[in-house]
Amino acid sequence: MAAAMTQQAPEPRAEAAGIDVRFRGVSKRFGAVAAVDDVSFEIPRGSFHSFLGPSGCGKTTSLRLIAGFEQPSEGEVEIAGVPMVGVPAYRRPVNMVFQHYALFPHLDVFANIAFGLKQLRPRPSAAEIGRRVGEALELVRLPGMGSRRAWELSGGQQQRVALARALINRPTVLLLDEPLAALDRKLRRDMQMELQNLQREVGITFVLVTHDQEEALSMSDTIGIMRDGRIEQFGSPSELYDAPVNRYVADFVGESNFFAGAVAAADADGATIRTAQGLEIAAPYSPRGRKLAVGSAGVIAVRPEIVALWDPAESGQALADYRFRGRVRNRIYLGDQTEFSVAVPELGEILVRAPKGSAAGAAGFAAGTEIALGWRRERALALADG
Amino acid sequence: MDRKQFIQQLRRYQKGSISRRHFLGVTGLGTATAVLASAMPELVWPRAASAAEIGDRVSLTTWPNYHDPANFEAFTAKTGAAVEVAVFGSNEEMLAKLQAGGTGWDVFVPTNYTISTYKDLDLIQPLDLSKLPNYDAAAYETRFVEAGSIDGVTYAVSKDWGTTGYAVNTAKVTEPMTSWKQFWDLSMDKYTGRTMVHDYQLTTIGNALKYYGYSFNSIDTAELAEAEKLLLAAKPHLFAINSDYQPSMRSGDAWMTVCWTGDAKQMHRDLPEIVYVVAKEGGEIWSDFYAIPKEAPHLEAAYALIDFLLDPAVNAKEVLAHGYPTADSRTTALLPKELAEDPIMYPAAELLAPLEFGAAATLTDPNRAEIMARFKSA
Amino acid sequence: MAKAATSDDSAKRRRRWTALLLAPAGLWFLALLVMPLAVVVVFSLGERAPAGGYAPALSLANYLNLPARWTAFRNTLVLAPIGTLVCLLAAYPLAYFLAVRTSPRYRLLLLILVIVPFWTSFLIRTYAWMFILGGRGLPALFEWIGFGEIRLINTPLSVLIGIVYGYLPLMVFPIFVSLERLDKRLLEAAADLGSTPWRSFRQVTLPLSAPGVITGCMLVFILLMGEYLIPQLLGGGKVFFIGNALVDLFLQSRNWPYGSAVAMSLVILMLATVTLYLRLTRRYGGRDVSLL
Ligand SMILES: Nc1ncnc2c1ncn2[C@@H]1O[C@H](COP(=O)(O)OP(=O)(O)OP(=O)(O)O)[C@@H](O)[C@H]1O
Ligand SMILES: [Mg+2]
Repeated sequence: MAAAMTQQAPEPRAEAAGIDVRFRGVSKRFGAVAAVDDVSFEIPRGSFHSFLGPSGCGKTTSLRLIAGFEQPSEGEVEIAGVPMVGVPAYRRPVNMVFQHYALFPHLDVFANIAFGLKQLRPRPSAAEIGRRVGEALELVRLPGMGSRRAWELSGGQQQRVALARALINRPTVLLLDEPLAALDRKLRRDMQMELQNLQREVGITFVLVTHDQEEALSMSDTIGIMRDGRIEQFGSPSELYDAPVNRYVADFVGESNFFAGAVAAADADGATIRTAQGLEIAAPYSPRGRKLAVGSAGVIAVRPEIVALWDPAESGQALADYRFRGRVRNRIYLGDQTEFSVAVPELGEILVRAPKGSAAGAAGFAAGTEIALGWRRERALALADG
Repeated sequence: MDRKQFIQQLRRYQKGSISRRHFLGVTGLGTATAVLASAMPELVWPRAASAAEIGDRVSLTTWPNYHDPANFEAFTAKTGAAVEVAVFGSNEEMLAKLQAGGTGWDVFVPTNYTISTYKDLDLIQPLDLSKLPNYDAAAYETRFVEAGSIDGVTYAVSKDWGTTGYAVNTAKVTEPMTSWKQFWDLSMDKYTGRTMVHDYQLTTIGNALKYYGYSFNSIDTAELAEAEKLLLAAKPHLFAINSDYQPSMRSGDAWMTVCWTGDAKQMHRDLPEIVYVVAKEGGEIWSDFYAIPKEAPHLEAAYALIDFLLDPAVNAKEVLAHGYPTADSRTTALLPKELAEDPIMYPAAELLAPLEFGAAATLTDPNRAEIMARFKSA
Repeated sequence: MAKAATSDDSAKRRRRWTALLLAPAGLWFLALLVMPLAVVVVFSLGERAPAGGYAPALSLANYLNLPARWTAFRNTLVLAPIGTLVCLLAAYPLAYFLAVRTSPRYRLLLLILVIVPFWTSFLIRTYAWMFILGGRGLPALFEWIGFGEIRLINTPLSVLIGIVYGYLPLMVFPIFVSLERLDKRLLEAAADLGSTPWRSFRQVTLPLSAPGVITGCMLVFILLMGEYLIPQLLGGGKVFFIGNALVDLFLQSRNWPYGSAVAMSLVILMLATVTLYLRLTRRYGGRDVSLL
């Protein structure tokens, strides 16, 4: 009990060492709504984890279950191996950066950041508080801003104050609820970098909630993709990208061209799908996906970067298993790569990304150009359509 | 209990007495008018024809529990003019209002000693007695009506008269009470916290003066200084300084109070243990009048109302309701025999003898006003 | 050059418009505040006419005579702050309960219950208190329980009870508003940072509701300074406020000049209080603070 009362991380139990947050069959219901529905996962110590999902899928609720603002209707939440059932928020070794920062408007920046320290018992000396707040300000690159009021700061500065405030007690886990949502794109990028650096610097486990997939992919060690209160898939960004369990995940993580239809044939390694237009396309299963039964709804996912483009006059690209002709509708130059959107009569609109070095990237097919495109069968994925 | 019942309860609790000072100022006009008007809507509205003669309303500024409401209804039925009643608590207050101007009063009820001041300040008008056929000067006892006439001109006609003594709850106060000396001494000793005095300079200072045997009307500085000393000494022992003493007397909170005839009569009627004492040292005898302010907006209606209330048959009903004796022998003749022997209404001659009518000087004497204010704010 | 002239013109025009738009407020101010106040100042320098009222004069005698009403000032200056404080102590938990603890479904209903008494005349309600505090009311109950004889009516305590009863809603509402506007996430943030519920209340809720508290106190205090009815009815005319002294001076003694002097000193007292109020509220950055 005494250990749980302090804000310092309690000694983890031996068997739980290495896991900072663990959900075991956790559900949280608000009346009839299951905001979180039978969720289990483990977040390893010192990692950067993100919850990703559309609005209303239960991300914030998951975070609040960790913070202690909500108690689970069922299941167990453990932090650093310590069961948190019945432990109120103010006794948990976690701190949170709120969606709109929730800085105390009646306190200046210094007092906002010092707030957590002042709750410690025994209370640190004024000198100690001053020193640590100074350090925290330094850490978030706001030195000398201590006497400002919260509303005198820019959005980015407020965000950093919120960060400093949450970090000052050196929590076991730092929770961040869409901390960057209110920032403009450029600032968001900068802050993403800073957050990542910070996380490495302080070595604390970060749990981030976002519905920006790029943010999740670029920053996280692990990601939980959520949907209707459940976790669809839990894994590293590359795992999610290369081995989505279903169309939902593939769609959420990165971009894909999907060709949906009924499974026409299936074996242990892959499946063939017949589209509405009668086209048959085959691909191997996703490594994490499930096998498909003939007749069930399936989808072939083709990532834009595996699609090759070539001049139809040339005969190249013999490696493509599926070949089509189309017309470039739109071309967007993205610097390191070029994005094409191609109208293919049999398939509809196809998204293609060609890296700068590739032939297509170099050729720079302009809008209106007739082109050929195709991909290799084994690089596409056959997924359950759901 | 809904709001109406609650108010009824409240009224019953206060039975026959509304605060002489505030109740009136705050609710008086509005409440009384609303109550009267709502009681007889069919009387107010269909009378448009006769209303043309004297107007459809007349305002009466008077004292609380001083009329029989049925008489007002009858007046409205007869003339079409609704009576808007406002109730006041002291002559000083009436004078202050009239001095400030813009009262809209048609008829008001001043006490004898104030009339000369009203006349001097040109606040009231001489009465045209031809418009008051019910007024028969010969029928009145002179001493109660003479204050209404100045230099042969009648400015006010008699309403009724009375005395200012004190009421005692004999269930609590066992001594036989006869004097102001006893009243003040016991108030400051055995019955501390149980006595009330008027929020009214004339009677409160006057009866303190009586403790020393001085004139009720004294404006002698030295005598007044003595009276003030008594008042200040008594103040911590008083239950309240309030002319609205009936509720506290009836509830048993207060056991003694400076009291007017009619209030004593009303309380004694319901609670026989409350008796009335006219102190042997003397005190006040007074008479009240009907008068018309200079600026009365409904002059014809004012005359009509006064004349109506002077009608002996109407006036007899008034007396039965308020319990004050009238100076009009025609009215007295209509009253039940036992009233004529009522010791509250008609104290014994030897008790009446030393009583004094209030003097005009007390109304304007700045010293008395200031002593009263100091006493209250002490 | 020409350009400068035009912009000068338009500035002038704008100024004229501003003046025009401000005129009604200015007139209102003049008619309802400055002129009556000027009359009071002039009266306060005069003397009482022989039959009462005002007679022109130029003397400070009325002001020099103010100590004669010292008790009224003292009662007001003691009972108004105490009344305000007790009001605050009673109102805060109520407002807190309404704003924080009550589900929005019942909140409106409960708020209406707070106002309902205002639908009956204040006088009637105070008369009801005269009955409750009178010998047949609470004291009778206490006596029956065995507390011995207790006198409530016509004491400073009964005046205090009346004050708290009468002014409670005025205190509840500003506090309720400031508490309701309080961002609940701030409390979660405090809890998250290790603050116990009680400490969160002290460190977050209380300071952030300070504007409401100050506004409520100001409303109640200023109105209490002029209070007349409650001391009159529940104090039995024995507990005297400045308001009672004023009523007496104008309606009984008809000493308008002295009354004016007392009124002026009351106005000055109130101005001092309001200044203090503005000082206090500026500490909160001038935000979220207003007289409702
Ligand atoms: N206190 C509550 N009472 C009732 N329902 C709630 C409550 N909190 C959340 N919910 C419901 O639970 C579901 C999940 O909510 P949650 O806030 O966790 O979503 P989210 O993933 O954070 O969404 P967003 O991206 O929009 O913030 C939603 O349907 C929401 O309406
Ligand atoms: Mg959310």
